[in-house]
Amino acid sequence: MYLAIEAVGKSYGSGTWALRNFTLNLGPGVLGLLGPNGAGKTTLMSILATITRATEGRVRWSGTDVASNPDALRATLGYLPQDFGVYPNLNAVEFLEYLAAVKGLDAASSRRRIDELLNLVNLTEVRKRPLGGFSGGMKQRVGIAQALLNDPQLLIVDEPTAGLDPEERVRFRNLLSELSGNRIIILSTHIVSDVEATATDIALISQGNMVAHCSPEDLLARVEGKVWEWVLPSADMTSVRQHYVISNTTRRSDGVHARVVGEVAPIGAQASTPNLEDAYLYCLAQHRLGRVQPSSAGVMA
Amino acid sequence: MNSGRVLYHMVRADFLERVRRYSFLLTLAASLYLAYCVAAEKIWIVVGNGYRGVYNSAWIGMLMSICCSTFLSLAGFYIVKNSVQRDADTRVGQILAATPMRKGFYTLAKTLSNFAVLASMVGILMLAAVAMQLALGEHHSLSLWKLWSPFVFLALPTMLLTASLAVLFETVPGLGGGFGNVAYFFLWTAVISLGATGTDDPMGLQLLYRSTRTALFSIDPSSPDRFNFSLTIGGERALHTFRWTGLAWTVPVLLMRLLWIVVAIGLSTVSAAFFRRFDPSRSRQRVRSAVKKALASSTEPKAIAPSPFVPSAAHLTPLVRHGGGSRLMQLIVSELRLMLKGQRWWWYTAAIGMLVGQFVSPDAGVRSGFLIAAWLWPILLWSKMGCRETRHSTGPLVFSAERSLSRQFPAIWAAGVIVTVLTGAGAGIHFAIAGDWRNLATWMAAASFIPALALALGVWSGGSRAFEALYTVWWYVGPAHQIPGLDFMGTTPASSSPVLYASLASILLLAAYLRRRQSLGYA
Repeated sequence: MYLAIEAVGKSYGSGTWALRNFTLNLGPGVLGLLGPNGAGKTTLMSILATITRATEGRVRWSGTDVASNPDALRATLGYLPQDFGVYPNLNAVEFLEYLAAVKGLDAASSRRRIDELLNLVNLTEVRKRPLGGFSGGMKQRVGIAQALLNDPQLLIVDEPTAGLDPEERVRFRNLLSELSGNRIIILSTHIVSDVEATATDIALISQGNMVAHCSPEDLLARVEGKVWEWVLPSADMTSVRQHYVISNTTRRSDGVHARVVGEVAPIGAQASTPNLEDAYLYCLAQHRLGRVQPSSAGVMA
Repeated sequence: MNSGRVLYHMVRADFLERVRRYSFLLTLAASLYLAYCVAAEKIWIVVGNGYRGVYNSAWIGMLMSICCSTFLSLAGFYIVKNSVQRDADTRVGQILAATPMRKGFYTLAKTLSNFAVLASMVGILMLAAVAMQLALGEHHSLSLWKLWSPFVFLALPTMLLTASLAVLFETVPGLGGGFGNVAYFFLWTAVISLGATGTDDPMGLQLLYRSTRTALFSIDPSSPDRFNFSLTIGGERALHTFRWTGLAWTVPVLLMRLLWIVVAIGLSTVSAAFFRRFDPSRSRQRVRSAVKKALASSTEPKAIAPSPFVPSAAHLTPLVRHGGGSRLMQLIVSELRLMLKGQRWWWYTAAIGMLVGQFVSPDAGVRSGFLIAAWLWPILLWSKMGCRETRHSTGPLVFSAERSLSRQFPAIWAAGVIVTVLTGAGAGIHFAIAGDWRNLATWMAAASFIPALALALGVWSGGSRAFEALYTVWWYVGPAHQIPGLDFMGTTPASSSPVLYASLASILLLAAYLRRRQSLGYA
């Protein structure tokens, strides 16, 4: 079981490329796909979920070209899109039963699966309520349940924690970790902490290009010795922001404590232990300056 | 910023948003086609005993403006009746609702932006009228006043009224959806008929009736007894011509036209009273009542309590995968359930009443009447076919499923056929028992044609309005008036054409399939 993305590109007419020459090989595990807004994450997700056709390149699922035989992938695909709707007059059970039928699942076994999934996403008590009355977070949980209906080998989740409260977000992260054993999970997000908690591999994407593909440890290693904590007067912050990459700021009685990411320590700054957010911002900044080379796209362990 | 400037920018933004859509080009193309039909003498006005006016500026202006007033007041309504809904869909409405903007201001802006769209279509026809007079060459003296004044005084006030009615229908609860689309057609029919009663109508038909009658009387005194004024599509050509110099725009006539403008602005103000200002709690009234009902009947706790047991993915029962079977029937049942979900008891009661009526009526005419009514009743169920995924944004969930095109697409059509067959079953069973094979064949062709039409229009237009508008007009002109060729239900032996409609159903299904296939990234 592997997913090979080979030099995939997507153009939206008039020469605008949302994705360009994107190559990645994936095996079982959780890939955290990180990137700023408009980086091309959702375009890539749509291509992998067989919703959008790539303009160039190809996607292969365990050797089968998805463009010529998309059903080979669809049969074992679970997809949670970034924006999706529900039928407001159906309740959660009816909606999942409908999608189970669309996915060609057997009625008896899908019924049991639906009960278990609703329990898993903590919606059992509202299973008979029409979906039109659900909050955004509850709808998102229905979306998570439908993505797991067919026991997918490839699970693609695009911004899955959007709208979830902190408790449900933790619950979902744990669920992803549990599911990751024998399947490929692609988690697209711009929330670094979601990736930090679950991903076994990280791909950074910016302006439609791959910036980095490596393990979280390797990504952190890139920024080792390049993160500094700097205490400075709040009045200086505006000019400092123009010259340094600031990953975080905290106001304290002695001034603003800024986390600065850069090759050289600002005068008076102390070295700090890097986190993934620092590494993410560092790589993006380097990419914008044209100083970063994408890592080799090896198969995940 | 003063109110006029705010109004201007609201109308401008809304107008630009519409004219930059592909559908606007189609609308303009339709206007040009209408102009072509008039120029090619496919649409006529025949007055008196087979007369038409000489193609001078006055007659051409009147003919074209009447086309605007009648056809565009129907088609234009369906074109512009989405401005408030679009603000709700794009969520721009909630941003506007949070501003100091008053409700009356909003509905007036929407009315004016609707009017701007319709007026641009009228503008196209005004230019086409000039070209038409030059092309026909029957009268070479071009008078822009005589040519364009009927557009200004007849067509534009009618367009303003149409624009305000579209906003009213969007804001009045219950008229915003498919029911309103159907209801407008019958309102339009009633208003068209108003001219025939001698009352001044918004389209100006009565004004023209009186003016042409007087002009014709001066050259053919025998005409008034048999005088008629008819806008005809196709049909027999006029035998004679007469010179008509145009409407006299007297003060009473202009005041009457002004009255319709006042009515339009009044309707816009009435709309404001119904406008909910994008309050989601009001727009979800029906769903909320269903939620309350579900809560009341539930013995479970009312709130979502934290579960003491945290389930794990490891507890999921592995899915047993069966090879082979397509499970198409299971999907058809699911589509059928989706289609019928949310229907009220009175909908089923009326449907059963019509079903029984078809079966027990001894008279063929009465039976056919029940069937005609029964096959209008599910119009709002059919109209969701093919566009439900777009409307509710469930496309990515449905279309990423295995063989969604080859399984879900036929399942939607099959569910539609089941609804059609069930609602018209009384007549079908009657034909089968009586051995009336020709009528049974027509009935079966219609049962496959109606959902095929709904599916094709749903897939191609991405919405339900196209089917709701077209089917209502077709149903009224064809089956209800037994027009041969258009009567897909075959309500009389003379108007029955089963082969035509069975073939059309196949063509429509193919068209819908190809469109759905094209719209999916990987078909």
